[in-house]
Amino acid sequence: MITGCGVVSPLGSGLQAFWEGLLAGRSAVRPIAGFPADDLEPRAVAEVRDVPRTDPDRAGAFALEAATQALADAGLDPASVDPRRLAVALGTTLGGMLLFERWLDGDAVDGLERVPYYAPAVRVGRRFGCRGPVVTPQLACASGTQAIALAADWVRAGRADVVLAGGADLLCRFVVAGFNCLRATAEEARPFDAARRGLVLGEGGAVVVVEDAEHAARRHARLRGTVLGVGAAADATHMTAPDREGRGAARAIVAALGDADVAPARVGFVSAHGTGTPYNDAMEAVALTRVFGPRNVPVNSIKGAIGHTLGAAGAFEAILCLQVLAAGVVPPTAGLATVDAACADLDLVYGAPRAHAVDTAVSTSSGFAGVNAALVLGRAR
Amino acid sequence: MSLAVAVTGAGAVVGGAPDFAPPLAYDALGIGPDGSVPLGHLPEAIRARAMRAERITQLLLAAGGRALAAAGIDAATAPATRAGIVVGTAFGCFLTNAAYQRRLAAEGPAGASPRLFAATVANAAAGELAIAYRLAGPALTVSAGGASGLAALGEAVEILRAGRADVVVAGGADALGGALADWCTATGLAFGTPPAEAAAVLVLERPGRVRAELGRIAGHASGFEPDPEGPAGGEGLAGAIAAACADAGLAPRAIAAVVSATPPPLAPLEARALDATVGGCRPRPMRPALGATGPLGLLAALADRKRRVPVLVLEVCPSGHVAALVAWSRGAP
Repeated sequence: MITGCGVVSPLGSGLQAFWEGLLAGRSAVRPIAGFPADDLEPRAVAEVRDVPRTDPDRAGAFALEAATQALADAGLDPASVDPRRLAVALGTTLGGMLLFERWLDGDAVDGLERVPYYAPAVRVGRRFGCRGPVVTPQLACASGTQAIALAADWVRAGRADVVLAGGADLLCRFVVAGFNCLRATAEEARPFDAARRGLVLGEGGAVVVVEDAEHAARRHARLRGTVLGVGAAADATHMTAPDREGRGAARAIVAALGDADVAPARVGFVSAHGTGTPYNDAMEAVALTRVFGPRNVPVNSIKGAIGHTLGAAGAFEAILCLQVLAAGVVPPTAGLATVDAACADLDLVYGAPRAHAVDTAVSTSSGFAGVNAALVLGRAR
Repeated sequence: MSLAVAVTGAGAVVGGAPDFAPPLAYDALGIGPDGSVPLGHLPEAIRARAMRAERITQLLLAAGGRALAAAGIDAATAPATRAGIVVGTAFGCFLTNAAYQRRLAAEGPAGASPRLFAATVANAAAGELAIAYRLAGPALTVSAGGASGLAALGEAVEILRAGRADVVVAGGADALGGALADWCTATGLAFGTPPAEAAAVLVLERPGRVRAELGRIAGHASGFEPDPEGPAGGEGLAGAIAAACADAGLAPRAIAAVVSATPPPLAPLEARALDATVGGCRPRPMRPALGATGPLGLLAALADRKRRVPVLVLEVCPSGHVAALVAWSRGAP
């Protein structure tokens, strides 16, 4: 069961700001303001504007704020949970990179112990006194999805009662220059559009409370939704380029549907990875059509609105799915105006929100090293 | 009690000081005096790939290639969709990040290397091993500080139990040196004994469909110590030990031996946790090796035993991450 959601996003902090921004089709993409970027090209990103860059452990700050919100949303006092049954699964691709950059540049930096990837999860685990598993899944841009999958597995296997699960990542010169040198970026994020040229990076944190059903029932918790199934598969073909046929992504979705015992025809909404790079979106169109058939299920991408938030992306998209399930409306894909012919088999939602009552949604993510992960999410009843 | 998982192959590369001679269940490859990672045993195409790769990837390919060969698994030409991979690493691509960032800082964006940047994701090493052997099932890299290796073995066990794969290549690796050594000094990170640079990889399968077994993993659990050196330090580890024993269907008092590389400052925490669970049994010490600690400890536990006994392997890290794993050594029941 998912009983709480917390969001620190480029569209604003809090579930409501995030959801209203998505429904309005707003894009948070702007020129970089938070750090020197005159020599970076492209330099459009989606920054979190309501969290000052004063905390050098920016990803950890996002994670902590999102986790705090998620617990409040769940109406759950962490001190009321058996600490050995309280866990953290928090994905990131950059973690303490801001501190790392400064330290390598020879600056005196406080809090250097927050450099490693596992630092945001440790920060959250310490704050809430967790004694259960505290793990940082590292699946590149699929880390947020994999974190929620791990959390659901832990609860199902009886290894935890409450898991703070999601992802957090930050923008910095390291990552912007990196995606630029791969020629993967563009000034505008236009997922599935004929004119898409690349992705736009974003930042933020998204955390859900994954809770054992009996634990949630005992405290009469309000449910946000259910993780029905999880799946993962590797392309095992190339470090940075996705399999052109989308075989790994399709196998991850099929595995998640099998795990959930849900037929593809029962899925009413798909949150695509939808980065806006030529290859990813074409690959995804093939993969989704392979699983669901042509134009059978509404699809969107929120990366036109909040950019590609890397290790947080899958967690944001899982929360999007829960909102779609609860509200019966699919937000439009910001940045999409003319659907690319290579993506014509997808029923893309763009231009305006679409009213659409849904019981079951799928969220899919892919990342460097050919990793793919998928979640099947169900509406709270 | 849950399903036990068979260990059908193992490989390791261990560097560091000459005093590091753990009794292992296999002959670990050493790192050359010039610091070179041994790659000569790998198939030609994989060796060529490894030569161009970052250090942690070389370590993982060297250990992984050895483990797969020991299990009789060749590099496949078609994707092996029922073969998964789970790798634990404390610091991942720390050294790659440093190399990439130093060029970026010195030369500006023109100095940003696509090859290095692509390898700055912490799952790069696991990705290279998966590509080399076409492991196309579930792929996962986990970081849980010095408890990353056992966390990885635990998730691999769960993948097999859930039937999501028939074979999982699982273990841990961390590359040391240069920037990471500087960082450990700068943070005063108290690992106690300086860690060894190492990678250790096991091939895990469901029992019954397997070749010769080196032993079995019967139970596992991870935990956390929010204040490792505080008065309640040890409760997270005690919880993990109790959960791992329950998972193995054993009373904690049935544990015959303990292996751990717990750094001296955390020895009181470990002693409290052991007193509260297995009783007076004290660990046989081994040298820590970051993400490879637990997998190496498991291999040590599976070795040198004439009888089949349950052994407890622990990982305890100053970050607060802890993990416990219960294994049955090979040998007669």
